[in-house]
Amino acid sequence: MTALVVAGLSAREVTRRRTAMLLVISLPLWFYLVRRDLTGQSMRMLTLGIAWAVSTLTLFVVNASRGVDPRLRVSGASVAGIIGGRLIAMSGFGVLLATAYLILVAIDQDIQRFWAIAVTMLITALIAAPFGSLVGALLPRELEGALALLSVCAVQMLADPAGLTAKFMPFWSGREIGTYAVDGTGIEFLWRGLAHGALVWALCTGLTLAVFARRLRLARYPEPVPDSR
Amino acid sequence: MNWPQRFEAELVRLGVQPVVARRLTADTAAQAGEHDADPDGFFGPAHLYARHLVAELQTPAAGTAPERCVPGQVMLQLSGVGKRYRRRAVFSGVDLTVRGGEVAAIVGANGCGKSTLLRICAGLTPPSCGTVHRTRRVGFVPQDGGTAGWLTAEEHFTLFGAAAGMVPRKAISTGTHLASLLAWRPSRVQPVQELSGGTRQKLNLVLGELHGPDLLLLDEPYQGFDQGSYLDFWRQVRSWRDAGRAVVVVTHLLHELQNVDHVLDLGAVAGRVA
Repeated sequence: MTALVVAGLSAREVTRRRTAMLLVISLPLWFYLVRRDLTGQSMRMLTLGIAWAVSTLTLFVVNASRGVDPRLRVSGASVAGIIGGRLIAMSGFGVLLATAYLILVAIDQDIQRFWAIAVTMLITALIAAPFGSLVGALLPRELEGALALLSVCAVQMLADPAGLTAKFMPFWSGREIGTYAVDGTGIEFLWRGLAHGALVWALCTGLTLAVFARRLRLARYPEPVPDSR
Repeated sequence: MNWPQRFEAELVRLGVQPVVARRLTADTAAQAGEHDADPDGFFGPAHLYARHLVAELQTPAAGTAPERCVPGQVMLQLSGVGKRYRRRAVFSGVDLTVRGGEVAAIVGANGCGKSTLLRICAGLTPPSCGTVHRTRRVGFVPQDGGTAGWLTAEEHFTLFGAAAGMVPRKAISTGTHLASLLAWRPSRVQPVQELSGGTRQKLNLVLGELHGPDLLLLDEPYQGFDQGSYLDFWRQVRSWRDAGRAVVVVTHLLHELQNVDHVLDLGAVAGRVA
């Protein structure tokens, strides 16, 4: 129950940050528009824009809750309930954002394997939430976290997708599945992308939970011995 | 509303029976009339005088010992507790036992570790040495922060209630009732970041108490309170104590120590360490 309440309230919290929401929602659009004439490039940029937007917003939400989480723990909430709820909310936001841009792509582009583009965007959005959460867990200040996300996205954008560096980046899966969708490459691109995405998602989620489990751990004290008075 | 109406409404809001509130209002108006004075000029703002009067009515008459319940079971027991950050010892050898129906105050100079000790009691910071025995149901009110700026007070009640296993409706009604004891009616739409510092602290206090803990740990919770809210706060502490709860409050307002059962001077303990 705690996870669902945290998810619902995190979603409300996000929608009230109107300016940040507007900027975050429009960010992938600018990425898309600058390369709109080239289908492959525009899809890669759009996917990266979604990744950046969702992970940055998650980072803000995680940092904003830093003071509340220990008190929720003292009140009886579990780490999984708090962090899981927040991840559910932000993943939901990511899926909504990806769906909205998918509709734009369906109207504006002619892609042979459109379903694979849908997979690209959804998997990117789903990875972005725990990745932003992990960065937020490791870097306590919003500016530091935002700069770290900027660095990751910049390297992801510039690195040779066939090189080793790109494979160590969290959103490489989107690039691989995107190539399968747009360039008509073999099915191995899709499987590689899915495997990479699943691994990164599991790593980011697991590490986020591990970091918060340590940070929000409560000392277990024995109860006082009842006296006879 | 004129002054007597505002005064009567405030009395009712503070929990005075309507009949008694009407009588007190009539008496107060008559008193001002005897001096041929405007009540606003004679007594000051209606809501503040109402709070002052309620606090006065609840204070035992001079010479009579306040009615106290017998202290109950031990809720918190610290034995030889110390905290060290790398080589620097903050404090050591802290002993404190607080029973249900007792109030303990932790005092000391800035930086002597009062908040750290309270976090140790809450279980948020592990002690470096010593043993802690503590009841399970505990409420913690930090000195500042501890709330989410974009959520409303009601949403905080829902969130903290869910953490303690309460359904949203019960959490909201409990939170609203506890807020009224501090003479605060939470807005349904106003996010916490738009509240004044004192009102945020009231929210903090309500959140700490929402799940009915047996032990309340309060870290200077009255920061930003006006005079009336401050009186409400100590009245609330006394009511918790009378209800058999244990209260540990970090404070540096020494004139309030007459209201507590135990005083732990952490400055003296830290001084022994240094």
